[in-house]
Parts: sequence; structure tokens; C-alpha cells
Amino acid sequence: MEVLIYMLIGIVIGFKWFPLKLKKWNERIQVISISILIFLMGVTLGSRPNFLTDFLHLGLESLLLAIIPIIFSVLFVYFITKYFFK
Amino acid sequence: MVYIAIISLISGIVCGQWIFNERWIHFFTNQSQYVLYILLISVGISVGLNKQVFQKVKEYHLKILLMPMGTIIGSLIGGLTASLLTNVSWYDSMAIASGLGWYSLSGVMITDLAGIQLGTVAFMSNLMREIIAFIIIPYVARTFNKYTAIAPAGATSEDTSLPMLIKFTNEEVVVMAIFHGVLCSVAVPVLIKYIYIFFR
Repeated sequence: MEVLIYMLIGIVIGFKWFPLKLKKWNERIQVISISILIFLMGVTLGSRPNFLTDFLHLGLESLLLAIIPIIFSVLFVYFITKYFFK
Repeated sequence: MVYIAIISLISGIVCGQWIFNERWIHFFTNQSQYVLYILLISVGISVGLNKQVFQKVKEYHLKILLMPMGTIIGSLIGGLTASLLTNVSWYDSMAIASGLGWYSLSGVMITDLAGIQLGTVAFMSNLMREIIAFIIIPYVARTFNKYTAIAPAGATSEDTSLPMLIKFTNEEVVVMAIFHGVLCSVAVPVLIKYIYIFFR
């Protein structure tokens, strides 16, 4: 829910006050903050003591469990957009 | 952007594994929610600057619900299919797939419900989903259509995948991505819990 609240704050700022001149800077902030978030995600992942052994052992299973659901999600949503979004 | 993402991820893993001590790790990871808030406000500003978006959302209303449904059903069927190719049972597999890319929550919940081994698979698999989504968003947007680019992102379409969606789709899709991410995020804990209650 916090996600929505912060997003709404941003939307109101953008809608009412934010100068269009600074649009580029706003986009730069997004790139910087996303890089930090991904870096921190890596820190969390790397801080697990047996990260590398886990990774090698369970990596293939995990990969299949990531890729196959992605493929089916894409196909389902594609058909939905094709048949309902006209 | 993809290169920046991969470099950030690898340097994060290296720092987490070899460079930072425990106190640093805690310090850094505790800041991540504030960074996310900054990102969200900034993305909100992007959406707010684009004034036609709101009109579009009104036009779509109920259709906004169809996309998360497609993502969730697709992921569950994908989980079932994946269980045929791995040593993971069909319900564990479905529970892992219903993480929808939210690796922290699904990792913790499945560790709780099914043990550390499956919890680790859930963590890694959903992290991979997020990373793969990040990388393929531009290709999905081009090959299928811009809306479909939201699907691989699952629950992450409201936060980590959002910058990619902003860059490779348009403001209208971004607003749908936010709804999609919020609804998927609500669904993740419910799905995991009830899969174990009903099927185990």
C-alpha cells in the first residue's frame, strides 16, 4: 500500500508543480535509484553464506521455474490484449 | 540500462559475498526501502507530467483487471509445466511460480512453509524472473505489444521493472503496469498460502 501512496504523492507533484524543464533530471534520478536497488538486491543475495554452492546446485531448477512461468504469462497476456483491447 | 543493471547486480553480489561485513550489509539493505520510495515518487512525477494518462485509464477501467489475471494464470500453468521438468513437486512448483518475481517475500514464505531448500529455489527463481523480465522487456514490447511487456515483470511491474517499462513502452502502459504490479503483489502471499493449504 505504501507503494501506492508514494506513487500518488509523485503524481500530484508531477501534475501540479513539477517544472517540465527538469524532466531529464527526474529520469536520471530513476536510473540512479534503480541501479542502487539492484546493487542492494545483489548484496542481499551475495550475503547468503553459501550463495555460490546454492546457486550451482539449484540454479537450473530455479531458472526453469522462472522462464516457463514467464513464457506462459506472456502468452496469456498477449491473447488478452489481442482479444479484449480493441 | 540493461548493462547498468547487470553491473549493479554483479557488484552487489561481490560486495555481499566478499567485501561487506554483516553490519554493513544490514545498514545497506535497510536503506533499500527509502531508495524505492524515491524511485516511486520520481516515477509518479513522470506519470503526473503526462496529462493524457488519466483519460486512458478511465477508458480501460475493467480491462485493467484482465492483465494481472493473465499473468497469474499463466504463471501457475507455467509452474505446473516446470514441475514436469524438475524434481520439484507440482504444488511446490506452483507456489514458487506464484511468487511472480517478488523474491524476498516468496523466499521467506516458502522457507517457512516448505523448508530452506525450496525457499532458496523460490528466492533464486523469483530473482531470476525479475532479472530476466528486466532484460526481455524491450524485446517483448517489440515482438508482441507494449502491454504484453508488463507480463514477465509480474509483481515487480510496480517497482523494479518499472523504469524499464517507462523506457520501452509509454505512459499509458506504465499506469497499467502500476495497477498490474499492485494487484499481483496482493495476490502473491494469498496464492502461496492457499496453494499449501489446499494442495499439500
